[in-house]
Amino acid sequence: METPYTDHLSLEDFEHVYEPAEDSFLLLDALEKDLEYLEQLQPHLCVELGSGSGVIITALAKKLAGFSLCLATDINPKACNATRRTATRNGARLDSIRCSLADALRPQSVDVLLFNPPYVVTSDAELQTQHFDSHSESSTDRNLVFSWAGGQDGRRVTDILLKQLDDILSPRGVLYLLLLRENKPEEIIKYLEGLEFRAVKFMERRIPGEHLYILKVTRSSAAS
Amino acid sequence: MKLSTYNFLTSMAIKGVKVGFPLKLTISKKEVVESEFNPTFVERILPKLDWSAVYGAAQVAELTDDIPAVQPENVGENELLLQKLHHLLFEIDVLEGQLECPETGRVFPITDGIPNMLLNEDEV
Repeated sequence: METPYTDHLSLEDFEHVYEPAEDSFLLLDALEKDLEYLEQLQPHLCVELGSGSGVIITALAKKLAGFSLCLATDINPKACNATRRTATRNGARLDSIRCSLADALRPQSVDVLLFNPPYVVTSDAELQTQHFDSHSESSTDRNLVFSWAGGQDGRRVTDILLKQLDDILSPRGVLYLLLLRENKPEEIIKYLEGLEFRAVKFMERRIPGEHLYILKVTRSSAAS
Repeated sequence: MKLSTYNFLTSMAIKGVKVGFPLKLTISKKEVVESEFNPTFVERILPKLDWSAVYGAAQVAELTDDIPAVQPENVGENELLLQKLHHLLFEIDVLEGQLECPETGRVFPITDGIPNMLLNEDEV
């Protein structure tokens, strides 16, 4: 899978939008590793939550162009715009939607869900000072904080998603979720089993200061 | 926003809204982005779409001569219709306009091709 061009994004963009880094590349590598599975799945709808610059969903949209609709969501309007530009720059067919997680999508419609959440362990106060509302177009440095600050265990946003997962994924849906060891992946796997999902550590990578995982999550009822 | 995407959007995250679909679409500026016609893809995606919302989008985009109000049988064998659906769903990009919740009237603006469906804390 080719890494999409990002030369259309400037330093100024990256003051407001998360710049692709090791975590982004791990998620890309995981999709590449699982491409055969994804091609067999022939997903109708692929969605990336919190798409930021849009490189991940753009790369996937290019690969699955023949059979999937691709969408990206983000709460940050600058990220939505960057994603749209990244898609255009790379000739990918996808749409950008400004919303929280998958809030604006019809229930149980997503076949492939991607999420590189704000996973860094921070105080919850760091998160509570974040406030996006739909009327704010002005962007501040806070936009960027929201892209990584995860609150307690770095799990605040991830936990919200996990609670909604049954409403988001289609019956054959799959989630690729990026986690940090501090996010307690084993705890998440157990929690998901209780919700009748099967979760496995699909890939992991140690980089200086971080031990990253990609969790692959499917419904227990789905054929493996 | 392509009209295929429109078919997947709902306002049901608003507190008290039951279905929130289909949203009432208004288009004030659109462009046509040509893309490769793949009949198999259009046919595959159709069962995932709600035909009444497809037809609704066609009405707003003023393409109802092309799209019947009721989904015909065996669309897969009707290449001309598949082509028209391809144009409607994948080539029309709504740049400016709005989506309106059918139950509450809450308006979601579409700006620079991006629908803003973000809700305020007091709405969820």
